[in-house]
Amino acid sequence: MAHQVNNPRYGFLIDASYCIDCRSCMVACSVENEVPMDSTRIWIKETGITGKYPDLKRFTAPFHCMHCKDPSCVSACTVSALTRSEDGIVNYDQDLCIGCRYCIYACPFGVPNYEWDEPLPLVVKCDMCYARLAEGQQPACAATCPTGAIQFGKYEDMLAEAHRKISEQPDKYVQHVYGEEENGGTATLYISPVPFEELGFPIAGETSPAYSNRLVTEGTPMVAGMMLVGLSGAYLTIKHIKEEAAREREEAEKEKLAQAAVEEN
Amino acid sequence: MLQKLLHELRTMPKFLYVTAALTLLGLSVGLYRMIVGLGPTTNLSKAFPWGVWISFDLATVALSGGAFTLAALVYVLQFEDLHSATRPTVLAGLLGYSSVMVILLFDLGRWDRFYNVFLHPNVSSALLEVSWCITAYSLILIYELSPVLLEKTRFKWLLPTIKKYTVPIVIIGVTLSTMHQSSLGTMFIIMSPRLHPLWSSMLLPVFFLVSSLASGISLVIAGASVSYWLFGHSLKIKTMAKLSWFIPWLLAFYVVIKFGELVITGEWDLLFSSGGYSLLFWGEIIFGALIPIGMFAFRQVRFSRVASLIGALFVMGGVILNRFDVTWFSIAPVQGETYTPHWMEIAILVGVAAGLVTVYSLVARYLPVYEETDTFKRNTPLPRPLEEAPAAGD
Amino acid sequence: MSNEFSRRNFLQLGAVTAGALAVGQMLPPAVARAAEAAGMLNSSGDGYVPSMCEMCVWRCGLLARVKDGRVVKLEGNPEHPHSRGHLCVRGQSGLFNTYDPDRVLNPLIRVGKRGEGRFRKASWDEALDYTASRMLQIKETYGPEAMVFSSTHNLSQVQFENLLYAFGSPNYGTQRSLCFNAMIVANMMTYGMEEPERIYDEDLQYIILTGRNLMEAISTSETGELSAAIGRGVKVIYLDPRFTKTAAKATEWLPIKPGTDLAFHLALLHVIIGEGLYNHRFVDSYTVGFDELAAEVEQYTPEWAAPLTEIDADTIRRIAREFAAAAPHALAHNGWRTSNFINSFQTQRAITILNALVGNWNVTMRAAGGEGSSALGSIPQPPYPRISAQRLDHVPARFPVVPLKLGVFQELRDSILTGDPYQAHGWFISRQNPVMSLPDRAKTLQAFEMMDFIVTVDIIANDTAWFSDVILPEASYLERYDPLLPVGDRAYLRQPVIEPQGEAKSALWIYKQLGERLGLGDYFQYEDEEDYINQQLAPLGVTVDDIRSKGYVDLPPGEEIGFEWNTPSGKIELFSDTLARVGFSGVPVWDAPPEPPEGQFYLLTGKVGQATQFGTQNNQMLHKYADEPRLWFNDTVAEDRGLADGDWVEVISEVGKAHIRLRVTPAIRPDCVYLTPGYGHLSKGLTTAFGLGASDSALHVTYTDPISGSQALSQTFVTVRKV
Ligand SMILES: Nc1nc2c(c(=O)[nH]1)N[C@H]1C(S)=C(S)[C@@H](COP(=O)(O)OP(=O)(O)OC[C@H]3O[C@@H](n4cnc5c(=O)[nH]c(N)nc54)[C@H](O)[C@@H]3O)O[C@H]1N2
Ligand SMILES: Nc1nc2c(c(=O)[nH]1)N[C@H]1C(S)=C(S)[C@@H](COP(=O)(O)OP(=O)(O)OC[C@H]3O[C@@H](n4cnc5c(=O)[nH]c(N)nc54)[C@H](O)[C@@H]3O)O[C@H]1N2
Ligand code: SF4
Ligand code: SF4
Ligand code: SF4
Ligand code: SF4
Ligand code: SF4
Ligand SMILES: [Mo]
Repeated sequence: MAHQVNNPRYGFLIDASYCIDCRSCMVACSVENEVPMDSTRIWIKETGITGKYPDLKRFTAPFHCMHCKDPSCVSACTVSALTRSEDGIVNYDQDLCIGCRYCIYACPFGVPNYEWDEPLPLVVKCDMCYARLAEGQQPACAATCPTGAIQFGKYEDMLAEAHRKISEQPDKYVQHVYGEEENGGTATLYISPVPFEELGFPIAGETSPAYSNRLVTEGTPMVAGMMLVGLSGAYLTIKHIKEEAAREREEAEKEKLAQAAVEEN
Repeated sequence: MLQKLLHELRTMPKFLYVTAALTLLGLSVGLYRMIVGLGPTTNLSKAFPWGVWISFDLATVALSGGAFTLAALVYVLQFEDLHSATRPTVLAGLLGYSSVMVILLFDLGRWDRFYNVFLHPNVSSALLEVSWCITAYSLILIYELSPVLLEKTRFKWLLPTIKKYTVPIVIIGVTLSTMHQSSLGTMFIIMSPRLHPLWSSMLLPVFFLVSSLASGISLVIAGASVSYWLFGHSLKIKTMAKLSWFIPWLLAFYVVIKFGELVITGEWDLLFSSGGYSLLFWGEIIFGALIPIGMFAFRQVRFSRVASLIGALFVMGGVILNRFDVTWFSIAPVQGETYTPHWMEIAILVGVAAGLVTVYSLVARYLPVYEETDTFKRNTPLPRPLEEAPAAGD
Repeated sequence: MSNEFSRRNFLQLGAVTAGALAVGQMLPPAVARAAEAAGMLNSSGDGYVPSMCEMCVWRCGLLARVKDGRVVKLEGNPEHPHSRGHLCVRGQSGLFNTYDPDRVLNPLIRVGKRGEGRFRKASWDEALDYTASRMLQIKETYGPEAMVFSSTHNLSQVQFENLLYAFGSPNYGTQRSLCFNAMIVANMMTYGMEEPERIYDEDLQYIILTGRNLMEAISTSETGELSAAIGRGVKVIYLDPRFTKTAAKATEWLPIKPGTDLAFHLALLHVIIGEGLYNHRFVDSYTVGFDELAAEVEQYTPEWAAPLTEIDADTIRRIAREFAAAAPHALAHNGWRTSNFINSFQTQRAITILNALVGNWNVTMRAAGGEGSSALGSIPQPPYPRISAQRLDHVPARFPVVPLKLGVFQELRDSILTGDPYQAHGWFISRQNPVMSLPDRAKTLQAFEMMDFIVTVDIIANDTAWFSDVILPEASYLERYDPLLPVGDRAYLRQPVIEPQGEAKSALWIYKQLGERLGLGDYFQYEDEEDYINQQLAPLGVTVDDIRSKGYVDLPPGEEIGFEWNTPSGKIELFSDTLARVGFSGVPVWDAPPEPPEGQFYLLTGKVGQATQFGTQNNQMLHKYADEPRLWFNDTVAEDRGLADGDWVEVISEVGKAHIRLRVTPAIRPDCVYLTPGYGHLSKGLTTAFGLGASDSALHVTYTDPISGSQALSQTFVTVRKV
């Protein structure tokens, strides 16, 4: 049972069979978003050159934020600097971030990056170029990709297209749409001619750890309340018992004294 | 006046010079880190955004767990004979938390706006819970410790009022403490894909809480023992024995749930098949739990300062190892990238730890921390500066 | 990767223009005024301006996003057939060329020793007067032919040539003999045109790529077309001694032995003719010389080619049959920088003939006009002076079929060094980096030593500029106008997107100014750049202001070229009488290339996606995303020799040495090494690029294909030893 979350409005369909590792998407992203020179919001995953000369293979695919339906980073962020919009865009508010870097660890896809060399650094993360979307433009990476490896559009269309492609060319593609189920479903979808592990994609479960996290964190105030009550109760009970005991002792003492007095008399 | 000061300095235990120097060095490196950023001064990376500082913090918080354990025992459960142990423990706790906060400030990329934790909270974040509880709890520790600070000053008249509210405050403190000790474990639930399955668990909050109870008590015992040899005042051996009685029970419970969970999730085969990870895990269990359980089960151990110290050190070592495992050693490398701390990370850490020791020693020396404890007389007369030296407030 | 460029100074991009902006607040600068008038920028100066990329010769259409007088982003123009909305990685990085902190923004005159890199700033008047006086001095003392002119393909090249012809020198060096002379001359001999257009339509089934590494040596639209074709399942055979990114996408990678592509293609011809698989009707109607061809290729069996190419005979035979079966929806790609061996011309001829035999004309290939368009107006010019001096590159004397406009650039230097047939004294260079792009860098520098005067027009202090006497700073492609460029049925406009930084000026302006000072003002009959374009547009009845916001003008439709070729016979020439008459074989013949002696390797070169030639390594954004330049070395051989990845080695050729780190990889033939080109710069004026990698140009021995004049870049053999 997963946390109920709406489908994203937009989605990417990235086809690893088209990517030529030209890095145009990376430059487009860095320029568009003024990403610092020592960082990047998008990078290339690759199989490396596999096989033995001359039977060689190599596959690559660009990788950026998956825009999870139930994003771990959002759940983790200490200060709500990361949020998921109605459209399903997982966005970062650089004015709120305190730089705890919990999001970096929390993301099961290893997405958020950091401006390590800045004295006052920020998180570097794909925001689906929402500013471009607002102007009716495609995200910078998708727009420029010379081979069409990055497609962008309505989430439903991308998902349908992914399934159409892999079922139409079953010999070419692995029969799996990465991101359809991963981490509870993501707006970024992939298809590939090689198993996703070989491309270095993380193997992610079908439920976002954000769900388990919430189970615990959202229960915390209740536990705390119960503890307060419990501890107070314990304190009062023990105090009462102790006082009772003391009184009894006192009374016993008194009685003893009285008894002694009687006897003396 | 000056002479007195010089005399003071001369009579100071020599190790304090070393710790003070290390503190200064660490803080200068820390200043440098603030100026140039994390990149040049740490080996943190996207693959390992948290390093030895966080491991240190988690271990320190666990060890500082003695403060709330003792407060609960003394004030809530009203084991009055343990009362004499509270002051040194609360002091150790407060200093522990302070050093954690200093380290966190070095660790936060945007330390300049740490206050956003309070202005823009995200309630589903375990880290938020941790930071709120730790802050609130530190205030409570200050409250609990305030009599020590005020006793000799003209704010003495506050003491009765403070005393009056101590119990409700302690109850809140114990709650907060329970919350953050466990939330520290919760923090790693969301990171489960990155943790080795031997450590990754939904029960992490419980593991963390229980182990912090055991290690907290151990720290009290270890602290008292060390103080015995260094300053000549400490806890009664009976008090110590009473405290250490809890340790085997807590640890046994810990071991049972820990293995129980592995059996239920069907991951117990990993206990032997995970190479270095298995070793680390067994290291925690054998040295941190099984051996001390065995030791403290014996009355003779509980009533021996030396043996208790050794047992306590085992527990603390086990818990420290556990926190390092969860925060660092069990984290899966990303594309082979591993993490070893930069020397500056270590320098800052050593500096803060040295600062901790320095401050604790000074406070223990000048303030009535062990006032209520039995003053044991050693052959060599140890200076009791409080009687001769001007108190801080004068 | 460079860290120098943090986000903070990223935001200061174009701070150089701040001055201009401050003035602009009182009176908007010309560029902004024009853009605003055309409705491209809003009142706060934000918007998009269409123009053209110049990060390589493909010249994609772009839309430049402008904000506060700065370019902040470049987009592919969907309206341009070369970009179709996309820009390659270099195109995306273009603004970092324009905003390179190393830009030369004032005319510079050398003060130190040549090559020492000490220059002083000068006014344009001073720099131009000085340049003109030195050129005139050379002309008067030694004759106009003592000035060498060289320039790599660019939009204002017509005016560069105008200057050269008006000045009266025959000595013209272009990049073509360094690049694709073999392909162009072969196409001219076969089809009577420089380069037919390739058609990647839905029906395409089969492609043979001979070392055309389209996934790295990128031409945005063609790279996209090939990708789409592969996506559709088109079969792609790729010949390359290296497993490139194209090889990774191809259906079949054949690690052919360098220099034997000719044997491979001759064997394909043999099978197709021998088995009667060619298009008989097409060959009969539209080609000449089939019988001569058939007679020649009779001997070139797959079994003959197999040991030469190290591709087995069955594979060759199968590919020939598959290719023929897919025809006419089959394409044998010509390749581009095909200047690999002295037999490259014949390889190219064999490829053009292979296409002709299967009759794919107007199916996967069609006629393409040159660059001009008869629909555009031209700028009036008096006739040029007659040039009687012979060319220093021996065209046409030694290279009778090489067009004068192409030349054989690399051969110039021997004449300069020997002073035979006469001594050259001056060199005028524009948009070219011959110190790096010519083989045998030491020889180029020696030739520079012989010069009394060298002037270079560039945007940064590239290596050639570094060794010059005067550097004239051109405005970057985002800061200037250039003549219109017809592509298909439109003519595209390059217009300034921002005000030129510093004192930089367009080449159109520079050439005219210089022309006037050389007493050749009559040849430059345009007021300014806008006037130039307006004269071009005049026959169409529009002005530059009318076409600004679209960025192009429609041309009247040209007539369809069906099945006619501009050859002497009017047909496709399988046998070329032109070649035969000057003593070359009329049909392609096997010509064995040299092989490396024992213990030596073929030194291969080849583009990487993140750099263009020798002019973009200083681009900080490209530098950020480029791989470290290294020497590729076959893994098995490395193991035998005890070499490991990352080792430093010394690479030694007949003419030079290089010090570089190894990339040990299975992705290269055991008898080859490959060095990332474009690095090992000499200019310390390139602060990002200086000190990176090693120069393959310093290693390359100059070999020239005797027919097309192409340099032969894979024919250099090297030894590699650990240091
Ligand atoms: N990114 C990028 N793109 C560019 C350019 C650039 O500089 N950078 N430059 C543009 C220009 S001007 C040109 S001319 C084109 C050039 O584009 P291409 O024609 O693709 O030229 P190269 O990359 O120089 O060489 C292609 C391949 O030839 C291989 N090769 C070497 N010797 C032989 C041989 O004997 N036989 C065979 N079959 N292969 C061999 C090399 O290994 C190399 O991979 O690219 C254009 N596009
Ligand atoms: N070793 C080796 N040699 C080669 C090749 C190879 O792959 N390896 N490739 C060959 C090929 S295919 C070619 S086409 C040639 C290319 O050879 P060149 O044309 O000599 O080389 P480029 O690097 O293209 O030179 C372009 C110069 O123009 C400058 N420039 C850029 N923009 C402008 C501008 O707007 N205005 C002006 N005035 N200057 C500008 C750049 O700074 C650079 O100095 O090299 C050939 N030589
Ligand atoms: S732009 Fe497209 S082809 Fe190039 S690296 Fe990015 S995804 Fe791959
Ligand atoms: S991929 Fe990572 S960063 Fe992106 S939304 Fe999911 S959890 Fe957050
Ligand atoms: S680093 Fe910033 S964005 Fe990430 S979790 Fe911490 S506060 Fe949130
Ligand atoms: S969508 Fe935008 S921000 Fe995200 S990777 Fe693509 S270009 Fe970068
Ligand atoms: S192929 Fe790339 S560099 Fe060349 S013109 Fe197009 S975008 Fe510019
Ligand atoms: Mo070229």
